[in-house]
Amino acid sequence: MSPEDFDRLQSLMATRAGYRLTRDRMKLAEHRLGPVARREGFETVDAMLAALWGKPVAGLGWSIIEALLNPETWFRRDRAAFETFSRELLPALIRARAGQPIRIWSAGCSTGQEVWSIGMAALELGAPVEIVATDLSRRALEKARTGAYTGFEIQRGLKAQTMLRWFDQAEDAWIARAELRALAHFARANLLTAPAADAPRFDVIFCRHVMDDMESAARGQVLDQLERRLVDDGCLFLGAEERIGDDSLAFRPVAGRKGLFVKSPAALKRAA
Amino acid sequence: MRRCAGRAPRGLSSRKKSVTPRTCLIVDDSRIIRKVARRIVEGLKFDVDEAADGSEALAFCAGVMPDVILLDWSMPVMDGLTFLRRLRALPGGDRPKVLFCTIETRAERIAEALSAGADDYVMKPFDGEILSSKFAEVGAV
Repeated sequence: MSPEDFDRLQSLMATRAGYRLTRDRMKLAEHRLGPVARREGFETVDAMLAALWGKPVAGLGWSIIEALLNPETWFRRDRAAFETFSRELLPALIRARAGQPIRIWSAGCSTGQEVWSIGMAALELGAPVEIVATDLSRRALEKARTGAYTGFEIQRGLKAQTMLRWFDQAEDAWIARAELRALAHFARANLLTAPAADAPRFDVIFCRHVMDDMESAARGQVLDQLERRLVDDGCLFLGAEERIGDDSLAFRPVAGRKGLFVKSPAALKRAA
Repeated sequence: MRRCAGRAPRGLSSRKKSVTPRTCLIVDDSRIIRKVARRIVEGLKFDVDEAADGSEALAFCAGVMPDVILLDWSMPVMDGLTFLRRLRALPGGDRPKVLFCTIETRAERIAEALSAGADDYVMKPFDGEILSSKFAEVGAV
């Protein structure tokens, strides 16, 4: 891959996904794009990129963008967040919503482990939840929808007892049970794109480790979108170590609960 | 430094290294698996001892109970399930967190291990991230 190709990839990632592809990831990018080139029928990564630059960004462009995103996820990642969710938030929401469905958004759900972690917590408490799960990557969503995981994936973060309770074994795969899958609706979405004005709002949004690699301006943009999609007394989970800093004034952190945010007074005033 | 398996005094001597190191006994007939697991578990700040089968492990536990036991299923002399049932019958034998760690991946066998008193179950192959997440889930770290 030539430095010029890498520059153009950087700008593609920044404009389409708000993603900061740093120069130290050049080798990684090349490694990730190899399988994409083979799938798309190109001899080499260079040949694929040459074809890409000649055309508007469509299927091929998005396949390349998807391959460069970070898909890493596991069950109950940042365990403390799920403890807070199941022990404090969900019980409070069950009382507050009094039988009405609790709406949850897994924004940047990747291959779905977060979705099922949320779903298992809800079913164990008998909480009526609807989970909307979105991601930019079509390939990640495809896998998330199947709810099927290898032995390696299924046990990362999941106790064996929980695995047996909520997943069925089918040859080498472990597949989320129908009652779990019925809770989730998957769709492709770009967090940089503004949703429809009447898009329904959520009680809880999980958007964890999605903005880690984003440009500051893109982070601000995403946080503002999340704020608009969250009810005023709703909660936002970011990754345990993620900070909002100066990127947005929409949220404030909740003291003593790593990764948990609520709307800031400024955001609430603006809404009123 | 290679430690022999199944002798309690060695477990005790290793405890002197720091203030309150937690201890883990790795029970597996494969020396390679023991070595790989040891490296990961030591990374989680545990003092590690090894045993090559259930009977060695039982002798070790009769002397000193480790905090965590990583247990293979199929081993010569005494298998993991027999060891687990005997361990749980020993005085103080309910205390160690026992994680099966085996190539046996059928759901019914996993359920059998859990009902025999295992705290969790690791299917081989595994890596450091899986093992450390399992240790976290059983409250060992």
